[in-house]
Amino acid sequence: MTLPVEHILEMQGISKAFPGVQALDKTDLFVRKGSIHGLVGENGAGKSTIIKVLAGIYTRDEGTVSINGAACDALAPAVVHEAGVRFIHQELHLVPYFTVAESVFMGQEQHGVLGLAGRRMRRRAEQFLKESLNCELDGKALIRTLSPAEKKLVQIARALIDDKARLVIFDEPTAPLASGETEQVFKAIRRLKERGISMIYVSHYLGEITDLCDEVTVFRNGATVAQLNRVDANSTQTIIHNMVGRDIDALYPEKKHSDGARMFSVSALGDNSRFFNVDLNISAGEVLGVAGLIGSGREEFIDTLYGLRRAEAGDMQFDGRELKLKSPADAVANGIVLVPRDRRNDGLVLNMSVGDNINLASLDEVAWARMEKRGLSLKRANELSEQIDIRPRNPKAITRFLSGGNQQKVVLARWLATQSKLFILDEPTVGVDIGAKVEIYQLIKELAANGAAVIVSSSDPQEMLGLCHRIMVMYRGEVVEDTPIDAIDFDSLLALSTSGARVASTA
Amino acid sequence: MSNTTSNTGFEGFGAKAIFVRYGFLIIIAAFVAFFSFYTDSFLNGSNLLNIVEGSAILLILALGMTLIVTMGGIDLSVGIAMDFGAAFAIVAMKEYQVAWYFAVLIGIAGGGLVGLLNAFLVVKLKVSPFMATLGTFFIGSSVQRIFTNGGGPISYRRVAQEYRDLAVGDIAGIPTEVVIAFVVLVIYFLLLERSVFGKRMHAIGLQQSAALVSGIKVRHYLFFGFVFASATCAIGGIIGSANLRMFTPLAGYSYLLDAIAAVFIGASIHPQGRPNVPGTLIGVLFLGIVANGLNLLGLNFNTKDALSGIILVGALALAVMQKRLR
Amino acid sequence: MSGTNSVSRPALFSAGALFSAAPLIIFIVLLIYLGISAPNLTDPATINLILKQSVPTVVVCLGLATVVVAGGDDVVSGGIDLSIPATAIICAGILADQLTNHGSPLWSAIALAAVAAVTMGVLNAVLVVAIGMTPLLATLASSVAAVGVTKVITSSRRINVDHPFVIYIRDANVAGVPSAVLIAAVFVLLFCFAVHRTRWGMQLQAVGGSRDAAEVSGIKTSSLVAQSFFIAALAGFLASFFVLARGSGSTPGSEENLLLEMVLATFLGAAFSPRRIVTVWGAVLGAVLVTALSVGFKSIGVNVFWTGCIKGTLILIVVASAAYSGRAQS
Repeated sequence: MTLPVEHILEMQGISKAFPGVQALDKTDLFVRKGSIHGLVGENGAGKSTIIKVLAGIYTRDEGTVSINGAACDALAPAVVHEAGVRFIHQELHLVPYFTVAESVFMGQEQHGVLGLAGRRMRRRAEQFLKESLNCELDGKALIRTLSPAEKKLVQIARALIDDKARLVIFDEPTAPLASGETEQVFKAIRRLKERGISMIYVSHYLGEITDLCDEVTVFRNGATVAQLNRVDANSTQTIIHNMVGRDIDALYPEKKHSDGARMFSVSALGDNSRFFNVDLNISAGEVLGVAGLIGSGREEFIDTLYGLRRAEAGDMQFDGRELKLKSPADAVANGIVLVPRDRRNDGLVLNMSVGDNINLASLDEVAWARMEKRGLSLKRANELSEQIDIRPRNPKAITRFLSGGNQQKVVLARWLATQSKLFILDEPTVGVDIGAKVEIYQLIKELAANGAAVIVSSSDPQEMLGLCHRIMVMYRGEVVEDTPIDAIDFDSLLALSTSGARVASTA
Repeated sequence: MSNTTSNTGFEGFGAKAIFVRYGFLIIIAAFVAFFSFYTDSFLNGSNLLNIVEGSAILLILALGMTLIVTMGGIDLSVGIAMDFGAAFAIVAMKEYQVAWYFAVLIGIAGGGLVGLLNAFLVVKLKVSPFMATLGTFFIGSSVQRIFTNGGGPISYRRVAQEYRDLAVGDIAGIPTEVVIAFVVLVIYFLLLERSVFGKRMHAIGLQQSAALVSGIKVRHYLFFGFVFASATCAIGGIIGSANLRMFTPLAGYSYLLDAIAAVFIGASIHPQGRPNVPGTLIGVLFLGIVANGLNLLGLNFNTKDALSGIILVGALALAVMQKRLR
Repeated sequence: MSGTNSVSRPALFSAGALFSAAPLIIFIVLLIYLGISAPNLTDPATINLILKQSVPTVVVCLGLATVVVAGGDDVVSGGIDLSIPATAIICAGILADQLTNHGSPLWSAIALAAVAAVTMGVLNAVLVVAIGMTPLLATLASSVAAVGVTKVITSSRRINVDHPFVIYIRDANVAGVPSAVLIAAVFVLLFCFAVHRTRWGMQLQAVGGSRDAAEVSGIKTSSLVAQSFFIAALAGFLASFFVLARGSGSTPGSEENLLLEMVLATFLGAAFSPRRIVTVWGAVLGAVLVTALSVGFKSIGVNVFWTGCIKGTLILIVVASAAYSGRAQS
C-alpha cells in the first residue's frame, strides 16, 4: 500500500517569460518533506528564475504553487517568509566589522529594558550555531576574523535563528569555499535535516549533489528534464546527460598537437604569501591548463603573470628576453593579455558600448593624431563582432545588456584586436551558456593553431581535460604536478587539486 | 527592469519621455521666458553678451571639474587652484617684474602645483578624491591667509596693458575672456569627447579595474588629469586677477558649487548620464542666465544669494531625477 | 572581556595596525608637546575652556556620526552630511534675529528655528532617498541654499544676543562645570545610547555596514537613511544654541570653520574605535581633541592663520593612514 508522498513544496507547470526569452516553460519542482533536494542545470536553465518566482521577486505567468499543502496564489517576499521559507543567497551579506552575534540577529535584534540585550543575543547565537549547525563560535568574534565556511554558517544562522524555518533554499553555498571547508557546511546541512528541515540545494558541483541530496531535479532550457527520487554516486552520468542534452565529449574541439618554440617561461616565481617557487613553460601553439582550488594560490599566480600583483621572487622570460611587469599596461605592451575571472568588474566597462570595449586596448590603431576615427573604430568593432559572432551585432549597444557569453566574447574580441601572443584566460566560461562555451573553446583552439600560446586557468576539471595539451596543478601555493594531458585523468586531477597527491587518501 | 530591455532608454513620445530627454532644456527655456517677460533688458544683445562674458571664468573652472568627474573623482580645490593662478601671476609681476606672458605661465604652473598635491594624495597615497581635495582646500586656504597676513588682497595697479586686456580687451569685437574660454572649451571638447585620451579617461571613470586590466596606465592618467584640471582652473584665476588688477585671496571658493552643479546638470542631459563638455557648457549658461536674470529683477544682494542657492538645489534635484528616470 | 575568545585577534604591532594608529600617535605627540610648552593647558580652568569651546563641534559631530553610521564611511557614495553646520548657522541666525531684532519670546524663536531645521532634514532626506542624489552633492547644495537664506534673515550682519537663556548657556556653571558642557553631555549620552545600544541603532549600523545585508535581513534601509539625515538636522538645531552662546550672537560665515572641525573630528574618531569605524563617542572624543589642539596652539602663540593648514594636514594624515590600513587588510 502506498501513501501519498508528502511534499513541503509543489511548484507545478510554472512558466515565466522575459522579453525575447522563455525563462521557464511549464516547469515542475516537487520537494519531499524532510529531504535535501538537489536542483541542477546549466547556467540559464532556469534555476535562479524559479527560485526568484518562489521568493516572490518575479511573478509567474502560469502554474500553481503550494507550500506545505497550502496553495499560494500570490507570492510576495513577506508571504513566503511567513510560510517558513528561507533563502541562503550566494553572497554572504555580512558586515566585516560586526560581531557574530550582531550578524546573526541583524534585523531581529532583541531588546531589554535598558537597550539591547547583548548578552542574551550572544548566548543564543552561540547556542544556535552549536546545536543546529554544529559549529563552535565566539559570539563576540568579528566577522572579518572568521574563515569563509564560518561566515557561511553565520549567514545560515541568521536565516534560521527565529526557529520558524521549514524549507531552506541554498544557492551555491560552497562556491567561495576551499574543498576542506565544504565538509563543515555539509555537516551543518545534515544536522538541519536531522532537525526536520527540508532543503533545496542548488549547485554546479555534481559531487556535492550526489553526496548530499536525497532527490534531484534537472533543468534544461527552462524545463524539467529529469526528476530523480533516489541519488547515489552513479547518478552523476544521468545528471550530466540530462543537463547537457548531448555527449560531453562533443563539447571540446579536437586537439591539434603543438610543437612550437618556447615562448614564455617563469622560474621560481613567488609572492612570499600566496604562492611559492612556481615554474611554468609554454610554447607557441600550446594550451596549458593551470588547475587548483580557490585558495591554492592559482588566482594570485595568474594575476602576477599579468602584472596585477607584484612578484617578490623569481623571474619571467618572454621570447628570450627578461620580462619585468609593473602593471597590466606592461604586459599588454609585450603581447600578454588577460581575460579576467571577474568579467563584470575587471573585464568590461559595462556602461560603455560594445564597440568601445572592443577597441579599448588598441585605440591608437583606430586614431589619427590621437583623435579617434569613429568610422574606422566602428568598422573594426563590426568586423570582430562578425568574426566571433557577438550578438546583438551592434557595436553601439551598451555592454551591460549583453548575455554572459556575449560579454565574454567582447573581452576576447578586444584582445583579438591587439594581435597578442600569450593569452591568459582565467575561468573563461564561468556564467557562459553552453552554446557560447563551445564557441569559446573553438576560439581557444584557433588561437593556438595560429601560433599563440594560451594559458587556461579553471576550476572545472572537465574543461581542463577537454581543452589543454598540458596541465599543471597548484596546491597550497605550490605546483604539485606538471604533466602532458595523456598522463592524467579526471580522478587524479581532482585528487591532485584537493589533496596535493595523485591518490586521494580515502577517509 | 525596463532598462534591461532598451539600450538607449528613451524611445517613445509620452510626457515622461519628453521630460527625460529634454527636461532640463525646458527648464532653461522657462527661465529665459520668465526673465524676458519680467525685465526689459534681458533679451538685449548686450545683455546676452554680458551673460556669456560673465560665464567665462565659471566655464573654465567647470571644464576642469568635468575632467575630474569624468575620471570618477571630484575636486573641491578648484577654487584654490584658481586663487593660486592669480596669486602667482600677480606676485611674479609685482615683486619680480616678470613679463606679462611669463607671469601667465607662472600662474598656470602655480595652479598646477595644487593639482600636483591632489594627484600625489590620490594616486600615491590612495586617499579618496573628496577627502584629498578637501584637505588641499583647507591647506590652500590657510596658505593664502598666511601669505596675505589674514586675507587682504594684493593689488598691482601697474600691470601690463596686455595682461589687463586678458579680461577687459577684445579680439575682433569679442571680449578676450570669451575667446579664451572658447579656446579652452574646444580643447576640452577634443580631449574628452573625441580623443583616445578621453575614451580612456571615461573608461577609468566608469570602471577603474576594467580599465587597468585592459592595459590603460590608470595611475598616469589620474595624475595627469588632476594636474591638467588645476592648471586649467588657474587660467580662470588669471583672468579674474587681470580684471581687478589684484589677487583677492579665497575668491575662488564662490565658484566651487557652481562648477560642480554645472557638471552634474550637464551629465543629466547626456543619454548615459555621463559628464560631458557640451553638457557642462549648457549647465554653465543656465547658471549664468539665472544669476543675470536675478540681477536684472533688481533684488538685493542677500535675496539674490538665497534665491540662486534654492534654484541650484532644485536644478540639481531635477537633473538627478531626470538621470534616474532613464 | 572574558578570556574565552577563541578567534585570534589581529596582531597589535602589524604594519597595518601601526599605520591606522598613526593619526592617534601624532595627536598624542602633539598634545604632549603642547602640554609641555604651554603648562597651563592642564589647568582645570583651561580644560573647562576647551570643553566649552568644543561644545558646538561636539554637537554637530553627533549628527554627522549618525549619518555616517547609517550611510557607510565612503565619503562619496556613502553617508555624509555637509549641511549640519549650515543648519546650525541658519537656526542661530533665526534665534538671534527673533530674540534681538524682533524681541520675540524664546519659545516662538525656538519654534521658528526648529521649523528651519526640520525643513533642512526633510530636504536632505528627500534629495538623497527619494531623488537619489549622492549625499555629498545633496548636502553641499542644501548647505549653500541654507547659507543663502541665512544671509537674507540676518542681512549678512552680526547680531548680538543677550537673552538670559543664551547667557545662561554661555556663563553659568553647575558644580564648577560649565552648563553648556553638562547639557551637551546629556545629548552625547542620548546619541550614544540610541546609535550604539538600541535595536534602531543596530539596524542603522547594519545599513551603513552593508546596504544589501540589511535589505535581505528585512531592515527598511531607505527609511533609516532618511531618519539619519533628519537626526543630523536635529543635531544642527541643538548646536545652534551653543553657537549663539559661544559667539554671544550670530556671525555670518562661521559655518566654514565648523564644517572643517566636524569632518576632521568625526573621521579622526574612527581611529579611536577598536573596529576602526566611525562611532558617536569617537567623534565626540575627536571633537574635544581637535579643540584642545586649537586652544593649545593659540596659547603657545602660533599664528592663527596656520591652524587651517595644520588641521588640513591632519585630515589628510587620518584618511591616508585609513586608506593604507584598509589596503593592508585586504
